[in-house]
Amino acid sequence: MSKQATGTAFVALLRRDFLLAYRRRAELLQPLVFLLVVVTLFPLGVGPSPTLLANIAPGVIWIAALLATVLSLDSLFRSDFEDGTLEQMVLSGQSLALIALARTVAHWLVAGLPIVLLSPLLAMWMNLPDEGLLILIESLAIGTPVLSLIGAIGGALTVSLKRGGQLLSLLVFPLYVPLLILATSAVSSAVVDLPYTGQLGLMVSGLIASLTLAPFATAAALKLSLS
Amino acid sequence: MSHTPFILAAYLISAVVLFWAAIAPVLNKRSLLRQLKNRQAQMDKTQ
Amino acid sequence: MNPIFLFFHKTGSPPWFYKYSGKLIPWLWAVFLALTVYGLYLGLVVAPADYQQGESVRIMYLHVPSAWMSMMIYGLMAIMGFIALVWRIRIMEVLVISSAPVGAAFTAIALITGSLWGRPTWGTYWVWDARLTSELVLLFLYFGVIALYNSFDEPRKAARAASLMSIVGAINLPIIYFSVEWWNTLHQGSSMGSDGPGIHPSMLLPLLLMATATKFFYGANLLSRARLTLLKQDHRKRWVQDLLSKESH
Repeated sequence: MSKQATGTAFVALLRRDFLLAYRRRAELLQPLVFLLVVVTLFPLGVGPSPTLLANIAPGVIWIAALLATVLSLDSLFRSDFEDGTLEQMVLSGQSLALIALARTVAHWLVAGLPIVLLSPLLAMWMNLPDEGLLILIESLAIGTPVLSLIGAIGGALTVSLKRGGQLLSLLVFPLYVPLLILATSAVSSAVVDLPYTGQLGLMVSGLIASLTLAPFATAAALKLSLS
Repeated sequence: MSHTPFILAAYLISAVVLFWAAIAPVLNKRSLLRQLKNRQAQMDKTQ
Repeated sequence: MNPIFLFFHKTGSPPWFYKYSGKLIPWLWAVFLALTVYGLYLGLVVAPADYQQGESVRIMYLHVPSAWMSMMIYGLMAIMGFIALVWRIRIMEVLVISSAPVGAAFTAIALITGSLWGRPTWGTYWVWDARLTSELVLLFLYFGVIALYNSFDEPRKAARAASLMSIVGAINLPIIYFSVEWWNTLHQGSSMGSDGPGIHPSMLLPLLLMATATKFFYGANLLSRARLTLLKQDHRKRWVQDLLSKESH
């Protein structure tokens, strides 16, 4: 397959995914609303004390982001699996890893990027000090693609299962632990003027590693689910 | 604080968990073989 | 055909595996019991109490070997899973899925004994130290693999999915461990089960004996579960029918 054909296939897949996403846009808003609701529950549950909220802000926002992402991952491959499109894609001879990557990129753009864009609102609600806001946005910008990449593996493994969504969360949450630790540490450090570039650097290497490895695992999982 | 109840509890719980882990496949195998034999006997009867 | 290759080839045959593992299992249990009795005798009766921790250090003889097994088994699952996926060897698939419950059991024991060790020694049942937290995440990884396997209708597909998940989990496991350890130093958590300046030989021997004993437990239990899985999967096949008729005569 020529390089040009591969690139064209990638773009074609992305365009298709955007078109489908646009048609289901109400469905895509649900995880984002969930994100907002979850963050809102925290002040209601632990009390509105500004210092308390500020202390737990990085963790709460990141955990809410994890939960919202997992919600949106379940439908990542499901509709294509159910109507046979996924099978056609596997048979098409295109690199399945590339197809997986295209789907993951599309997922991040419609599910992960909105989380990044909503984060200033969340930071305000959780009383995150201004010093932390930029780093919060950066940590989410680097981290949400990793969530999509690793989550796609889980989504591919569970796509052929009924009620795969619950299992999906059980599978990917342990894998998200390092990311959660690094990201919240970066934001908390930034708030108290401690160095945070190490954490962000590790997150970037995690992103690069996931970018190169996860699509292949996702492809293997897709082949498995379709077999 | 005496340490003994903790030591006892630790060893007891470990023993129970390991014993269950060891026994479970044995019991399951016996019941599986029984089931299969019964099904075999029924099939032999009808043939 | 060279004998080693022939041996591995034969283990791929379910009736051959079933028959010979059945012969091996009692020996494995025997060695496990012998090592355990001797190890616990040395650990509970002969070895002294710890200078700082007192008698509760005796929980170490359970806690540490279990923790070692929990990690070793997961690593083995990943290796066997890799072989199962790449070379499509069925017996490897069976061994992967038979290992998971054993690994989960050891992980649970490590967590429970760790918690019981902590209470008299450090005053609390649970602390978010690096090792306990990583063990807890490992337990969730085990549950995930087991749940994934049980969700599929077709056993071979289920085993392959479980294998893939084990590999993904195993690659992440060191990352998870180091990130939790680093997180722990940030938050100045107390570390449970610190080894101190070095372990006294009178404590080291029972520890190593128990560590070896747990490996024999794993071996025996693994083969036992693998045989059950083979019977379940192959119950329509000739070799199982032959086995049933042989047993009833």
